[in-house]
Amino acid sequence: MIVYTLFVVSLIVFAITQILPADAAVMMLGENATPEALDALRQTMGLDAPIWQQYFSWLWHVVQGDLGTSLRTGQPVGPAMFEALGRSLLLALFSIGLMLVLAIPLGIIAAIRRGKIADMVVSLVSYAGVALPEFVTATIAVLVFADWMKWLPPTGYVPLTEDFFGGIAHLVLPVCVISIILIAHVSRMVRSELVDVLHTDYIRAARLKGMSRGHVLRRHALRNALLPTITIVALDVGYLLGGVIVVEEIFAIPGIGRQLIVAIQARDLPAIQAGVLIMAATYSIVNFIADILYAWLDKRIQYD
Amino acid sequence: MTEFLKRLLKTPQGAIGTFLVVLVLAIVVFGPMLAPYDPEKLSPLARYKGPSLMYWLGTDQYGRDIFSRLLIGARATVVMAVLATIAGTLIGALIGTASAFLGGRADELIMRTIDAVMSIPSLLFALLVVNLLGSSTVNALVAVAIAFAPGMARITRSVALSVRKQDYVNAAIARGESSAYIIRREMLPNVIAPIIVEMTIRVSFAVMLFATLSFLGLGAQPPAAEWGLMVSEARRYMHMSAGILIWPSVAIAIVAVGFNLLGDGLRDALNPRT
Amino acid sequence: MSNTEMTNTENNPVLSIENYSLDYETANGPFHALKTIDLSINRGEILGLVGESGSGKTSLAWSIMRYLPKNAREPGGRILLGGDNLLDKSERQMEAIRGRRISMVFQDPSTSLNPTLSLGTQLAEVLMRHRGLSRQQAWKEGEERLAHVGLKTPAQMMHRMPHEASGGEKQRVVIASAFACNPECIIFDEPTTALDVITSRQILDLFVELQAETGVASLYISHDLALVARTAGRVAVIKRGDIVEQGTVREIFTNPQQDYTRELINAVPDPAHRLVKDDVAVTDKPLVKVENVSVHFGRKSFLAALTGKKTERVTGNNAISLSVNPGEILGIVGESGSGKSTLAKAMTGLNRFEGKIWFDGREIRNLGDMDNAYRKDVQIIFQHPDASLNPRQKIFEILSRPLKLFGDGSDLEKQVGDMLEQVRLPRTHANRYPHQLSGGEKQRVAIARAFASKPKLVICDEITSALDVSVQASVVELLLDLQKASGTAYLFITHDLNLIRQIAHRIAVMYRGDLIEVVKAEEIDSPDRADYTRRLIEAVPRAAAQFQ
Repeated sequence: MIVYTLFVVSLIVFAITQILPADAAVMMLGENATPEALDALRQTMGLDAPIWQQYFSWLWHVVQGDLGTSLRTGQPVGPAMFEALGRSLLLALFSIGLMLVLAIPLGIIAAIRRGKIADMVVSLVSYAGVALPEFVTATIAVLVFADWMKWLPPTGYVPLTEDFFGGIAHLVLPVCVISIILIAHVSRMVRSELVDVLHTDYIRAARLKGMSRGHVLRRHALRNALLPTITIVALDVGYLLGGVIVVEEIFAIPGIGRQLIVAIQARDLPAIQAGVLIMAATYSIVNFIADILYAWLDKRIQYD
Repeated sequence: MTEFLKRLLKTPQGAIGTFLVVLVLAIVVFGPMLAPYDPEKLSPLARYKGPSLMYWLGTDQYGRDIFSRLLIGARATVVMAVLATIAGTLIGALIGTASAFLGGRADELIMRTIDAVMSIPSLLFALLVVNLLGSSTVNALVAVAIAFAPGMARITRSVALSVRKQDYVNAAIARGESSAYIIRREMLPNVIAPIIVEMTIRVSFAVMLFATLSFLGLGAQPPAAEWGLMVSEARRYMHMSAGILIWPSVAIAIVAVGFNLLGDGLRDALNPRT
Repeated sequence: MSNTEMTNTENNPVLSIENYSLDYETANGPFHALKTIDLSINRGEILGLVGESGSGKTSLAWSIMRYLPKNAREPGGRILLGGDNLLDKSERQMEAIRGRRISMVFQDPSTSLNPTLSLGTQLAEVLMRHRGLSRQQAWKEGEERLAHVGLKTPAQMMHRMPHEASGGEKQRVVIASAFACNPECIIFDEPTTALDVITSRQILDLFVELQAETGVASLYISHDLALVARTAGRVAVIKRGDIVEQGTVREIFTNPQQDYTRELINAVPDPAHRLVKDDVAVTDKPLVKVENVSVHFGRKSFLAALTGKKTERVTGNNAISLSVNPGEILGIVGESGSGKSTLAKAMTGLNRFEGKIWFDGREIRNLGDMDNAYRKDVQIIFQHPDASLNPRQKIFEILSRPLKLFGDGSDLEKQVGDMLEQVRLPRTHANRYPHQLSGGEKQRVAIARAFASKPKLVICDEITSALDVSVQASVVELLLDLQKASGTAYLFITHDLNLIRQIAHRIAVMYRGDLIEVVKAEEIDSPDRADYTRRLIEAVPRAAAQFQ
């Protein structure tokens, strides 16, 4: 499944980068290069071969772990991208962690207090959460917490290994900004799943066996309601990765999103190809793991 | 129709959502007529003004009237988002229906491919497409439409498949109805409602995606009054006056929340069995 | 079998409901769900509560269990369990009573058990909650309880997940947890309705046995008078929230006082009372001949095909051969999964099949051979009218389609009106949407649609099983009238043996995709029948026969 996904993604990425009006040879030698020099370079780079040959040669290198050389820096793309990916994953993991810690309890509270004030507050929060794009919330957050309050540093990235607390302080705003939309979405999903589960016959049956509300919630309802959350969170990783691009740009975090923006602006084809491929792979792997986890937790799956 | 409206306005989501969306659409239509000032007229002497009777929402870094810019920018922001969503929905619905109708291996292949395409985050996908086509409003529209299509295809397919299994469709097949009739009269009316709901909610995502593209310099270009671009430009001057940042943000939020609420309201109102 | 004569040693009933009323608040004002109910059940007694859907019988169960929705209002009355008024109990007190002093068995074991917890966990938690046992003790006690309800391998069963057990096994587990704390009273809410005929007979036998052994006061809720007649000592008939009549089973059946009760009794199908004449000419030229028709499900998935994985084909029908004569009613009976509906779908072009179908002398080998003429002559009616009528089309559009396809399509207004009258519905219903009609009315529309093309064969796929008994009786009556008028042949698929013995000329018995035998309706209870057929017949309760 992952293999097929990456194959399709590689096709798309290659197709898009091929149609891009950017000539790798011109980019390397500059606008003033002689036609002869350009031709010679094209030949050595294999750019004169038919497109499908170029594609398979590129794919063959990718399969071997060679993601190509950046047209901008002249360095291999792979190591730079993976290093950037590491920073982005740190950001993503903190965001998912924060989201889970907040969204699940919020969803549960809204579901068990359905129709009450708590439920309305949670649904207001979830509507507010999806009201603004990340770059707006990020900008406002910087304005309020960095410029006015001076509680947190506005932008920048400090590795945790260098200065742990400084690094955390730099991560707080980006993590919060990324989490907002995810919290809104996931808490809504948790609520609706739990409301559905609480209306099932087996929950009623458990209550009529004399089980207390709390016991039924813990032992019977949550387990079934939270299972689908795994899938939802995994699917949201796609959104998360998009958010990472914007947030890294605003907070000047040298992650894969920033690398991609730079690559896109510079039309650095190998870097774009590598970056998109890595993002798609990350998404696919997360979803693959989520599927396995789901099947492992829900033993019914194998029989369906 | 009136009965439908009554059902829509009965829920708080439906009522507030309808109100906000109607308000926004009114601004889209009448905004340019109502704008008190020329949105692109620079007034170097009236920069960073706070809200006043003269400038209701104050002025920006060039002394342009923010209220006028918002009224005029509604077209660029909302119309684009609605068009892109409709286009994306049509493409997606076509693919999804075809996939559900073909069934078998073709269906599986199409869906696996859709899954693969969806592994590229839609913002990134839009970035690539805009980069390919060059940054402009129209290209951003195409990019957002293409980025939405796979998701809509999935939803359409799953709805179509569940309708396809219903006995009224079986009854039509057993009766020997043509495929065209079955799709048009039996399936479509039942498929369309959930898709309209999904589409309405997605308009708000489109608004945000457009704004983000403008922010990254790949959507509308200055001096356009597109709301996302206004926020983006305001970032450098926000220390001078928070208003130039806040007002367009509020405008975006109203549109996003409005369409979201309307979508939820429609979900209840369009259910024939409640 | 009956517990009527069991002596009542205590003067105080275990459960007594006095002058109890229940309203639901709705947007259109209060809805009176239960009106001044008076009922009592003594120790060792089974009280049958019979009513149709919406009669309030389940509301009463919720009231007793004190598990009511927020919009419920109780204008008056008392519900006494061993002298304690349950209406005065707090939620916390009720939690201690539920499962210990009063428990409940539910309709469908596949939904009333948590799919993600093992059967043992769900049984043991009751024992831990109410009897203060430790986990190990509860588990051990649970195994004993499961053995007691007739499960062969209780230790393994404890560890199984619900999806790994059959419907009958699951219901036994539910029953075991209801009896786990030796309660004073148990409410059985249609405990066999979701089960197959033979399984439900076994569950019923188990219930009677356990009841006699423990002497628990039982409230047995059912829509099925025949079933209640078998088990209960006394019966109460409930209609629209009112107990219209109560008395011993014998009194109710032999001397009903109320018209409604009489109606209900008459609506119960009685195989001895045949509704059709056996005058169908058995010809050597049947209308339909099904020859070695097999249906298989399962298709190699795209990925499985790529990786060369083997996929198993599931057989829905296994080389079925049978025939229907012109004007004949052929019944097909069998449990769920026996392939009855699969055959119906194959005959109407909804399933691919292997083998041949001969219709009116024409050979049909595959779906492509089913042309307009064949589809005109062979019509199908489905089980759930909710699903078979498009919710977004008005009745007029639904009924005018077959007229346009197969008829002349002229003056649709009049034709649709005539069709509605034919199925005894007012002409004005043409302007309504399906959801504005009752279940029985919807099924009549579906019948009208099937008869619009003046077919030679109508396949009825469980068309009465979603309907109430009295509605079912009137739908059957309508079908028989239509058959008399038009001479149409029916392929009548059902799991209701009593009904099919009343109306079919011949009956085909199916089991797990195979056709067991096809016999004349009046000979189905002869001892020469196949083993499976005999078990089916024995499993079905026959109400009237006990009292005549």
